[in-house]
Amino acid sequence: MKRSKTNLLWRSSIRFLLQHPWHFALSILGVALGVSMVVSIDLSNSSAQKAFSLSTQAVTGEATHQVTGAADGLDESVYRQLRMAEKPLKSAPVVEGYGRLSVVNRTFRILGVDPIAEAPFRSFASQKAGINLSDFISGETTGLVSHDVASELGLAVEDTLMVSVSGHTFPLRLIGLINPDNDQTRRALENLLVVDIGTAQKLLNMPGKLSRIDLILPENTNERAIKNITTLLPEGADLSRSDSRSQAVSQMINAFEFNLQALSMLALLVGMFLIYNTMTFSVVQRRPLIGRLRGIGVTKREILRVVVQEAILIGVIGTAIGILAGFFLAQVLLKLVTQSINDLYFVVSVQELSIGIYPLIKAAVLGMGATLLAAYWPAREASNAEVSTVLNRSSSESKIKGRIGTLALAGIVVGGLGGGLLLIPNGRIGMGYVSLLMIIIGFSLTIPLLVTGLTGLIRPVLSTINGLIGKMSAQGIVTELSRTSVAIASLVVAVAATVGVGVMVDSFRTTVVSWLEIQLQADVYVQVPRAVTRKADGELDPTVVLRLKQTDGVAGFHTVRSVDVHTNFGIDQLVAVDNEVSSHNTYQMKESEPGFWNRFRNEAIVMVSEVYAYRHHVDLGDSVFIRTDRGRAGFQVAGIFYDYASDLGTITISRNTYDAYFDDPAVSGLALYATDGADVDELVKRLRSRSEGLQEVLIQSNRGLREASIAIFDRTFTVTIVLRMLAMLVAFVGVLSALMAIQLERKREHAVMRANGMTPGQLWSYVITQSGAMGLIAGILSLPLGIIMAYILVYVINMRSFGWTLQLMVSPALLMQAVLLAFLAALLAGIYPSYKMAKASPADALRNN
Amino acid sequence: MNNEPYISLGRLTKSYQEGSVTRAVLRDLSLDMDEGEMIVLLGRSGSGKSTLLNLISGIDKPDTGKVLIGGTNLVSLNEKQRTLFRRNNIGFVFQSFNLISTLTVHENVLLPLKLKNNADREAFRKATRFLEEVGLGDRGDSYPDRLSGGERQRVAIARALANEPLLILADEPTGNLDYKTGQLILKMLHTLVRKNNRTIIIATHDRDICQIADRVFNLQDGVLNEVKNHTEITGE
Repeated sequence: MKRSKTNLLWRSSIRFLLQHPWHFALSILGVALGVSMVVSIDLSNSSAQKAFSLSTQAVTGEATHQVTGAADGLDESVYRQLRMAEKPLKSAPVVEGYGRLSVVNRTFRILGVDPIAEAPFRSFASQKAGINLSDFISGETTGLVSHDVASELGLAVEDTLMVSVSGHTFPLRLIGLINPDNDQTRRALENLLVVDIGTAQKLLNMPGKLSRIDLILPENTNERAIKNITTLLPEGADLSRSDSRSQAVSQMINAFEFNLQALSMLALLVGMFLIYNTMTFSVVQRRPLIGRLRGIGVTKREILRVVVQEAILIGVIGTAIGILAGFFLAQVLLKLVTQSINDLYFVVSVQELSIGIYPLIKAAVLGMGATLLAAYWPAREASNAEVSTVLNRSSSESKIKGRIGTLALAGIVVGGLGGGLLLIPNGRIGMGYVSLLMIIIGFSLTIPLLVTGLTGLIRPVLSTINGLIGKMSAQGIVTELSRTSVAIASLVVAVAATVGVGVMVDSFRTTVVSWLEIQLQADVYVQVPRAVTRKADGELDPTVVLRLKQTDGVAGFHTVRSVDVHTNFGIDQLVAVDNEVSSHNTYQMKESEPGFWNRFRNEAIVMVSEVYAYRHHVDLGDSVFIRTDRGRAGFQVAGIFYDYASDLGTITISRNTYDAYFDDPAVSGLALYATDGADVDELVKRLRSRSEGLQEVLIQSNRGLREASIAIFDRTFTVTIVLRMLAMLVAFVGVLSALMAIQLERKREHAVMRANGMTPGQLWSYVITQSGAMGLIAGILSLPLGIIMAYILVYVINMRSFGWTLQLMVSPALLMQAVLLAFLAALLAGIYPSYKMAKASPADALRNN
Repeated sequence: MNNEPYISLGRLTKSYQEGSVTRAVLRDLSLDMDEGEMIVLLGRSGSGKSTLLNLISGIDKPDTGKVLIGGTNLVSLNEKQRTLFRRNNIGFVFQSFNLISTLTVHENVLLPLKLKNNADREAFRKATRFLEEVGLGDRGDSYPDRLSGGERQRVAIARALANEPLLILADEPTGNLDYKTGQLILKMLHTLVRKNNRTIIIATHDRDICQIADRVFNLQDGVLNEVKNHTEITGE
């Protein structure tokens, strides 16, 4: 019985929604857009993580522990020693690195193994998998890829592949295909090239060296047994759990992914405004209807339930569409996210989206939660309205006008609390975003007051421009404040988000550009093509180095060596430089100990980047312990420098000190100084021709390198810019729906104006002027909020995420663009209603009321 | 025998705050009504007629006084209880019809019955019967915006009666209708109220209604005065 009663109310409610398809569709769109952003970011992040963890699992196999060396690997004699130990261990040697296959522009992981030792570790690389041992270890350059990869690339056994590693290209004969036994292995092997140890050493230029030795130790292995194994290892080598390295690598991208998630949440927040907006309109429009229902005895609770049910319906449809759209969007974002990870952190190749249940549950909870949260207030207001006043149209307006002072005060308190949160020392990134959210909410609450004030200012202007119609347009914004202020607030938040993110990216770019100018002092730079763009860990061929140094027109040079080392903080990048004399010009020091440059060449001291110091809480005078070929050695941090090349941070040491601790004469990069008056472009051409046929190297002029670096910078921010555009799209839809709803809802008022002699043109002008004025107000109000957001993003979020000091760069062009954007969005949103209103017959509008 | 009046309004006062000024709308107003009685409430616009109806229906509460309907004092009830009381015992006919635009004509009549938890079949039968009584048996599937003003008011009358309320409140039922349609509606309201033995209060400034009333009252300056001689007012 109760059910049929509810059905009738529900039927009425559904019919209302269907009678207003625009509102209904826009509400759904608001939820869908917000949810799709969250889903797409989550899916692309989790797919990248999943691909990374699958490929790591594949190459780790069943190994429980691993023996690793210092910077440039482990001598292969260590493996022999372990095999000859009193109690032989289950062990397998591994040589690992990256290379590119010429048939496809994709980076592959090269895994060098000994198939005889492999069986307990990686079934796909063992003899059991059907590897033809004689072909595999024949001494020729041979290898295996998975069956799927071969079909994808159109390869067959006995085909020859061209493999490029650190600028050298090798022909490799495909001697077999791996048949993965399950889907997980299939995906893990998507980017794997399995070769013999000897082949890998040749490809990766690691003669006599191993990347690591994998071990399987019984579960009950005690500390003492581990210590016994350690005694077999030479200085610099270390025994660690296999999962510790992958965990450390995976953690690198935590901050990066968190920030992307936060951006997607911002879109959801804007989506919430949209839902709030449309739900409020839906309720406001139905005030007379609700009044009638209340008049005939429908209780507040029943009204609340119906409005909440509507919200649930909108939430369910919007979330479902959002999840579906999120899949498609994720395909696009996945490429961008993977590109950024590859540029910044490590090589990961993701061929397909990994759809986990967690992102879907999260999207459903967020979509429904955001909808219900946004709809709760309008629903409550609808149910709480007194029956005697609900029939009175102006009651809600007089209510909000009486409340604008209180709302503004509440806004100042909420915003102030948000600001206060920023003052808590050592706050986390999450806290930064909570504070940002509180400031956004606080600012939004002051918007009715600010709109009233600004309307007062623009009224005389509009009156001058458009006479009485202009004046009426301005007045209309205030008389409909409960609706206009919400529409303006949603536009303000969205435009402010674009201002905030835009200013942050601009600030970052400006800082990086000026940093590059100081950093790049030499005329020509020579590097090895690399898998991870920001990591210069390749090796230049010594012959190439020698030939280039001796080229005509080269007046001087310095070298850089970049390696990954084990420190007391994990795996870190160590950079050895030999330009100690000119370094004080190229390195911008944040702080340093007295006489730092004089001590740098010969003492066991290092300088660390600002990011490194921030991430690891390292200060001047602290020590960093590095595993070297001479064993674990402590280096005092005597300087902290600005560096924007890596968000993971680097340790910089003098080449002289590096050579004393590492048996690694290799060079990763070469900087050349041209003789006075030499044409640098000509020199670059000359250098390129001299290196031809030896090693494929990147030779770039100072300008070329700077441009390339900026291009990489821009590329890594593409995903941010895409998200910013999507947030703007959500906002645009929001303002479109809000303004359309306002104007359509005022059909009768417009009809009265038409009946009183207003021409269609005048009505069009009235509606457009009002929409434009709202857009202009929103644009103006978005600036202070946008700049506050930028300030928090630059000085708090960025600092807490990465630790970079950036110069806040507010470009007037960007601000103008924001105001223009809001204005145009509002104008565009006003076109349809004004067209419709101007065309409608006033008699119909009056009759249908 | 029970001598208690069917409806009793005891010393009702109601005032509204308008800025710093308090405006008294009803002053110490009392009225007793018997079951089946038809009362007309006259008064100019703004005289407080609608306020009085709001107090009687429990939509609003008086500042002081009591509203007794069938032995229940509405003043002692909370908002929810008053809503439920209204749902079960009061029928409304408004000047602006106040039909639910998103429900069909039949569903509009059905709604109060459903709210009252009438059995589905019973509710359907009643709604159909009363629609037929107001002559709209064939328009049940139409939406209100397809009907003329007179037809909408007939639906409102059917909705008010179908609920079998203790009391029907009609607020300017002919206010939005032309003279001829208004007369037809009044005649129908009168016939159906009498036939179903309903008690009704009609608030209006249409003095022609006085002829069908049992008693006529004039609300002026917040005070209720009974008009003994209708001809004084109607001029007939």
